[in-house]
Amino acid sequence: MATLNITYDGMSADVPVELERPVTDDDVRRIATELVRSGGVPGMHLTGLSNEAFRYFVVDRFRGARGEERIYLRPKVPFGAR
Amino acid sequence: MRIIFCGVGAIGSQAAVLCRNLEASLVFIDFDRVESKNLLAQAYVKPSVGKNKAEALKLQFLNLHGVKTESFGVRITRDNVEALCGGADLLVDCFDNQDSRVLLSEFARRAGKPLLHGAVSADGTFGLVRWDERFTPDAEETIGQATCEGGAHLPLLGLLAATLARSVQDFAKQGSRRDALVNLSSVVPTSGT
Repeated sequence: MATLNITYDGMSADVPVELERPVTDDDVRRIATELVRSGGVPGMHLTGLSNEAFRYFVVDRFRGARGEERIYLRPKVPFGAR
Repeated sequence: MRIIFCGVGAIGSQAAVLCRNLEASLVFIDFDRVESKNLLAQAYVKPSVGKNKAEALKLQFLNLHGVKTESFGVRITRDNVEALCGGADLLVDCFDNQDSRVLLSEFARRAGKPLLHGAVSADGTFGLVRWDERFTPDAEETIGQATCEGGAHLPLLGLLAATLARSVQDFAKQGSRRDALVNLSSVVPTSGT
């Protein structure tokens, strides 16, 4: 069991996910899209979420204090304007 | 302790204000000037308009009690980064562009200086506080991507500046190096020692 944290449009929430194999960053983006559309993410039920919504998002992976897998899907920083 | 804030715009100016209690010299570096619109989201007041940001922030700190500051109103480049940042005990990256962040990161790694980054996403809904040993700058989505100017994102900027200042304070007092993800509903520590 891993925890996926999704930050989107100012909202953020944790959702537990069962991963039977290592997942790529694109897998994480697809899983997140389906979870948000289906209402599986607390406070973030967006049925019309675009397939491209997470296209430019970054996937960060960490281990929690007890060694548990935590995956964060987040917007890019820093912005690159000059 | 000498703490150098590289960039004192929306993030850097607010984080510096929240570090004014530290027994440290606070050094401000920024080549930019204060514009009227900056007064909405940055720690400047009307008499600062037109002044260099680093100089203006130093002047404002003179109104506080016993805070030691220095200012350098210049742009950090490959030619001057050693002279400007070589005396730092801690570097704080509050720049608004990737090139400057990378330049500073390369210097810090080469010189063995602790460096803490603070940044927000282009839409102003998410922020990151991350120590350089775990820092990889994200690529731009589009060249010259719009920044979150004005006061619309001030609550998030304030939260990010506070989280950044907390990490600076923890480092100054305990030597710890904590990272965090910041959004309007939470501040999530992600790793660190």
